[in-house]
Amino acid sequence: MHSDDTIAAISTPAGRGGIGVVRLSGPDSIKIAASFFRAQSANGPGVPNRAQFGRLIDPVTDELIDEVVLTYFKAPHSYSGEDVVEISCHGSPIILARVLQLSVDRGARVAEPGEFTFRAFFNKRVDLAQAQAVRDVINAQTQYQARVATKQLEGELSSRITPLKNALVEVIVHLESSVEFVEDDISPEVASTLIGKLTNAINALTAIANSFAFGRFVKEGFDLAIVGRPNVGKSSVFNRLIGADRAIVTELPGTTRDALYESTSISGVPVRLIDTAGIRETTDLVESIGITRSRSAIADADISLLVLDASSTLQIEDVELIDSVPEARRIIALNKIDLKNVLDDGMYEQTGANFAHQHDNVMSISALTGSGFEQLTSKIFERLSGDATAERDDIMLTDARQHAAVQRAIEQLADARNWLIRGELEEVILLRLQGALVALGEITGETLTEDILGQIFATFCIGK
Amino acid sequence: MRSDKQFDVIVIGAGHAGCEAAYIAARIGAHTALVTLDANSIGQMSCNPAIGGIAKGHLVREVDALGGIMGEVIDATGIQFRLLNRSRGPAVQSPRAQADRNLYRTEMRRRLSITSNLSIIEGEVAEIKFTGNQVTGVELADGTRIGGRAVVLTTGTFLNGLIHVGKKTFQAGRSGEPASIKLADCIRGIGFKTGRLKTGTPPRLDGRTIDYSKFDRQPGDERPVPFSFKTESINRRQIECSIGYTNEQVHDVIRNNLDKSPLYSGDIQGIGPRYCPSIEDKVVKFAEKSRHQIFLEPEGYDTYEVYPNGISTSMAEEVQHEFVRRIAGLENVKLLRPGYAVEYDFVDPRELFASLETKVVRGLFHAGQINGTSGYEEAAGQGIVAGMNAALTSLGRPTVEFDRAASYIGVMIDDLVTKGADEPYRMFTSRAEMRLSLRYDNADQRLTPLAREIGSIDEPTWERFLKRQSDIAQVKDYLQTARVADLGEERLGELQLGGSADAYGGKRLDYLARRPDCSPQKLLEIIKTSIGSEAHEAQIMVAINDLRYAGYLKDQETLARRRGRYDELPIPAEMEFSKISGLSNEVVQKLTQIRPRTVGQAARIPGITPAAVSILLVATLRG
Repeated sequence: MHSDDTIAAISTPAGRGGIGVVRLSGPDSIKIAASFFRAQSANGPGVPNRAQFGRLIDPVTDELIDEVVLTYFKAPHSYSGEDVVEISCHGSPIILARVLQLSVDRGARVAEPGEFTFRAFFNKRVDLAQAQAVRDVINAQTQYQARVATKQLEGELSSRITPLKNALVEVIVHLESSVEFVEDDISPEVASTLIGKLTNAINALTAIANSFAFGRFVKEGFDLAIVGRPNVGKSSVFNRLIGADRAIVTELPGTTRDALYESTSISGVPVRLIDTAGIRETTDLVESIGITRSRSAIADADISLLVLDASSTLQIEDVELIDSVPEARRIIALNKIDLKNVLDDGMYEQTGANFAHQHDNVMSISALTGSGFEQLTSKIFERLSGDATAERDDIMLTDARQHAAVQRAIEQLADARNWLIRGELEEVILLRLQGALVALGEITGETLTEDILGQIFATFCIGK
Repeated sequence: MRSDKQFDVIVIGAGHAGCEAAYIAARIGAHTALVTLDANSIGQMSCNPAIGGIAKGHLVREVDALGGIMGEVIDATGIQFRLLNRSRGPAVQSPRAQADRNLYRTEMRRRLSITSNLSIIEGEVAEIKFTGNQVTGVELADGTRIGGRAVVLTTGTFLNGLIHVGKKTFQAGRSGEPASIKLADCIRGIGFKTGRLKTGTPPRLDGRTIDYSKFDRQPGDERPVPFSFKTESINRRQIECSIGYTNEQVHDVIRNNLDKSPLYSGDIQGIGPRYCPSIEDKVVKFAEKSRHQIFLEPEGYDTYEVYPNGISTSMAEEVQHEFVRRIAGLENVKLLRPGYAVEYDFVDPRELFASLETKVVRGLFHAGQINGTSGYEEAAGQGIVAGMNAALTSLGRPTVEFDRAASYIGVMIDDLVTKGADEPYRMFTSRAEMRLSLRYDNADQRLTPLAREIGSIDEPTWERFLKRQSDIAQVKDYLQTARVADLGEERLGELQLGGSADAYGGKRLDYLARRPDCSPQKLLEIIKTSIGSEAHEAQIMVAINDLRYAGYLKDQETLARRRGRYDELPIPAEMEFSKISGLSNEVVQKLTQIRPRTVGQAARIPGITPAAVSILLVATLRG
């Protein structure tokens, strides 16, 4: 299915850069480009998949606009599935605007936001989940986000969901066929096969849904509060945590809290650090840190990292902090373990056990040497995922809409399965199964009734 | 047009669609003519001498609820009745009956001939006449002109009908009956988009030469469930059917002769129904099956003709003889008539409004196989709608359309006028989103009030309907107020419910109706003795069935709405699809041709992708 107009847009972000790209998509792409592009070699533009060096000449004034590289992607082997021409110019906004204007003069239309991807979806070059992923790749602010988004782009989510949809369709086909054509009741063996298929689907979808616990943070970032009394080494801990990601510091969508926050990332996952005490200062402490200020930061945080100084005894302030941070979102870091662990010695003397025995989620680290930080990072992510052990690189849902759809599918399938076991009427079970199919279809695209009828015909034929 | 005779409605073709159309038009009060090539073949069953089946039985009941005639005729002439899917839920139960083929035909003709306002005219319609874009009547081959304000075209398989038996091909609409060629030319001349479809039929067998000992028997129901709401009970003697199978030898013969099959030699252009394949189709497509089921259906009480359901074929006669004789029990069978395939023209149903009136010619209606459907019941369902609307139009009254959420007739018509027919359309329960609400036993609840408004049913019928409704309400009331605890241990024990008595101790009887482990039959017995026999069993069952699904109706609605959240959103009549940016030529063309009234209808058009629907939706919402 092809549109009949040709769209054009500047595909690189606004501002200056070394290169800027104007992209055309549609049946007249080559014709339009040819009107102002002169290839250096003898060939005109229009050799597919070949970068051609040439000049942009204003067709009216004959003026040289720029020296460019033009690449032509012939339908359907292009991003949008249509004929695509990409013109790489020098990244001057003026030149790019001129090229765009020339294209429009020659019959192109300025593309609506996302329209190239829309056409790609239209032409079935990408499905719905992939189309969304394109948007996410563009918006990805961290490398990790980019990787997750790229995986989605390559259709991983769809490729996990599609087999489940197919299994579901098989169950639907079976039940519909038995209703329409065959009069015998479903035999126990067949029933248990159907139940088995539903159980598998439920389990697989549950694993995908669970990945949202973490996936949500990958996309939207999480809020981290680092608290502790002065001099425990909060800023060193912070610097170690963000480590190599230090270079990637961008603005994430703002929040309405009045505490200071810094946007950065840990291992590629965006994090908003709630600054409780001027951690970004080069000196380690600000004398007037208030417990109240810490408290409000802790309340807002997804994870609170409570830092203690292992080289000194436990102080009252420490204990107050421990009490005030809810356990569900807390990690306690014993810092400075490169020195003598005075804290544990004291604990042992008093209670007969060391600190880690008294509390959960205690990590021993040294901001100075870096010891224990790999484990600390893992622990942070573990606690974020609600302590579910999701592989960091496993398929991940990052989109709340997709998550809601998967949840709905799971609920419907669970009902259907229970009803099947209970011997409920087929047409009622089918309601739930159809509902689950619609929910999954919201992620990858519709499954039409006609498709199901077609499958029924492929496997059965009517008797009387 | 100067005419020899003048009518309000002219119906062309007296098949199952034509009979319904003519009957209802006359009943509504339109002066009606039914024109047929041969008065003796009014109501002829071309193929299977049976009415009903899953989803098809639903259609017959709906036709009856609207005041149609098919249900009464089959009740009067059926020789075996079975309610299908008895062990399943009521929404998927459907009645089916085999008819005495001759009796059905003569009974249909008799009833039509005593219907006032209806004239039967024998003749071949050669042309449909119109002035501008308004129909004015028809002209017969012999030159006779008949004037009419509305014309209903129900030509079945006769338009350019071509019959294939092996290599033998000849023009015919049905075995022994001529095709309609002139009319077909006329229709193409109007400019309708047409296509070719095909359907097949098996040979007819001489029952005296069948060895029935090799077949299993299948009796009818002890107490037949009638099709018509007007029928109290059916007390006729029922015949038995026989069930047998093909075998590998049969399949070998067929495989060895495929090159002589018109289907495989490419002689037949039309597309056939996937779900009613010929035996050649079955043997090729389901090669791994070592046998296919056959039902031997006697064609009447007094005839020895037998219809073998399941071996539809268009192979050459000699080949038919060969493979049929390899079936166990049919070694010595005599073929009375060979099976054949018939190819015919149909008109793209997207040329129609939901009233079944064509978009280009006012007053012209199409119903039945001409719209690309297959089946007598599907034809009758359209026939009654076309007949109704033709009559209403001719009388200057507004037409009616049927909602797909309220009837299978509505589902069928919406499917046809929205999606067209790329293969013969047959009704299935899975086509209906509101399947749980469209039961065979509540067709009158859904449609009889409309019939009353239109005037297609008489006063006694309406009174009986009201009585039934009040009985049902009475039973429901009882079920919703009577307590389980009051039933007494003995009767409760009869129900044999699982689980502890605590679960249902404090509940009302309607709770029992909803439990999957509570047998509706047993519950019916209890109700009968409690309430007395004022309400008939059929009504008690309707009340129970309503309650059985009550909890799921909301889910059904939610799902239907989820599938089409903006289903009802109307598209402005003046919307110019070509002006919406982002729609391809093809999509614009489809939308312009079909002119969907709602976004939902647009979404159901094949080839309109979800992306296009989104664009259309946004354009509609933006205004």
